[in-house]
Amino acid sequence: MNIISCPNSRPSRFPLNWGMRLGVAAAFAILWAPMASAQEVLSADETAALCHGGGSICVSARIPVARTTQTVQNWMSPDVGAAWAAGYKGKGVTITMVDDFSSSSRFYGNFGIGTQYQRHGEWTREEASMIAPAATIRSKDFSTGTAVSLARGLNVLNLSYGMYTTAGYSTSQIGWAPEESSIISYATKGSAIVSKAAGNDSVAVGGVTGGQQDYLDLALIGKPTAIFVGALSTNGTTANKAQLAWYSNYAGSDPAVQSHFLVVGVEGDKTGLYGTSFAAPIISGYAAIIGSKFTKATPVQITNDLLNTARTDTLVNYDPSVYGKGEASLSRALAPVAIH
Amino acid sequence: MRERSNIGVGLCAAALLSCALLFASAATAQEWTTSLVDIHQGSPLSDRARGLGNGGYELQSGSWVSFTHWYHASWVDMHVDLLTQITPDTGILWGFGTGEQAEKYRIEPSLKLGFLTQIHPNPNSTLSLSVTSTIGGGLNEKPCEADYGDLGTYSVNCRLAAGMTAPEETLKYLVSAKPETMHLWLNYRLTF
Repeated sequence: MNIISCPNSRPSRFPLNWGMRLGVAAAFAILWAPMASAQEVLSADETAALCHGGGSICVSARIPVARTTQTVQNWMSPDVGAAWAAGYKGKGVTITMVDDFSSSSRFYGNFGIGTQYQRHGEWTREEASMIAPAATIRSKDFSTGTAVSLARGLNVLNLSYGMYTTAGYSTSQIGWAPEESSIISYATKGSAIVSKAAGNDSVAVGGVTGGQQDYLDLALIGKPTAIFVGALSTNGTTANKAQLAWYSNYAGSDPAVQSHFLVVGVEGDKTGLYGTSFAAPIISGYAAIIGSKFTKATPVQITNDLLNTARTDTLVNYDPSVYGKGEASLSRALAPVAIH
Repeated sequence: MRERSNIGVGLCAAALLSCALLFASAATAQEWTTSLVDIHQGSPLSDRARGLGNGGYELQSGSWVSFTHWYHASWVDMHVDLLTQITPDTGILWGFGTGEQAEKYRIEPSLKLGFLTQIHPNPNSTLSLSVTSTIGGGLNEKPCEADYGDLGTYSVNCRLAAGMTAPEETLKYLVSAKPETMHLWLNYRLTF
């Protein structure tokens, strides 16, 4: 639950898949007050998917994760297939998906393993687990508002949602829930990699849309292990360059955002799933894979590795104010700078 | 394990040498003749080393690293086999291999030693036995130094540096192979 210093600045959590973003007004109406009371009025069925015993992490027993699917799918970057060698696919790294695992909102999609009808969090979790099949995936229902705990070893936090409220406040005016407070703290201290969906309003990260701003974006700007992830309409190659998806937020003119902004292909025409919600889990998976290779690397080092190895030659008219550092390249992030 | 194996090969070679000397002492005052039996370049280990040169990967900058130059030897391991005849039916087989090396591997020089003997069960047939042992000639792949920028510099298997295997783990996959150390050859020839 959010404790807000100004009653008018109470932000709502909002999943960043494009289909849901179309209903901004309606969604806000649903997510405002009922969000605060959701924990008290959950049905028995919903409760099963939430956390128990005061722990902030819960792994739903009802919703199987496609952990056995270790096939390179056509929506993935060719880079993933090239990088998947024997053994190491995110092993030893924990990805925590902070998302919706309890609402009644579900939608259809297909990550190449058959059409499914799932909640937003179930989709993003499935995607991350397909990119990094050996990673430990944890589910944290964002409606609990409780602090996110870190696991032993390298941690990646996936945020495929935003915290929206009326534009014009500073982030210090926001009374964050323990959940977001903990996430912002981890990104500030560099104790976990935070992969944040950039948003689907075709504005710069942190920009105003419909009089609202994503304050979670704003709070993460300049944090050493925060990565904002925008969506390309396809995976780029030098022969077939990609461009920013029409809905995706872009880096904008702030150098602090540009230097922590990556783009990846979200091929919704193949999966039926559009939005930067499905861009962030790709970066989460990449970070897990890099962490499984460089077992002693810190979250800051892995974040910088991903940012510094992004490609610009696979993008149409590369511009840092649009694409930030460029298209994430797993194979380059795993490769040496030099070898002799 | 390797040390034990080397000792075994050494003992075997010593035994073969002893046999050869025994024959030699029995054949004192006779004139020994040495013949060239075989000369060739290359070996299964040479082929294997050359196979390591297939492939490559991109560095972080996108520049392509080909394995070819790391595993290309300017000289291919040459083997010379000789036979020194001690008696009409016995001889010492001996020879050597020059070895070869490239930037990222080395095949050590080798020495071959053994004997050949034959008997005639009847005037039309010959039963031949030869035993040879090879010392040295092992193939050893060398590691690379890979600079991963902020992530550090590691000693790695050159071929696996850009894959998903942890740098230190890649060293397990460095090739270390031995040639055929003992060769036994039995031949029966019937003339009719």
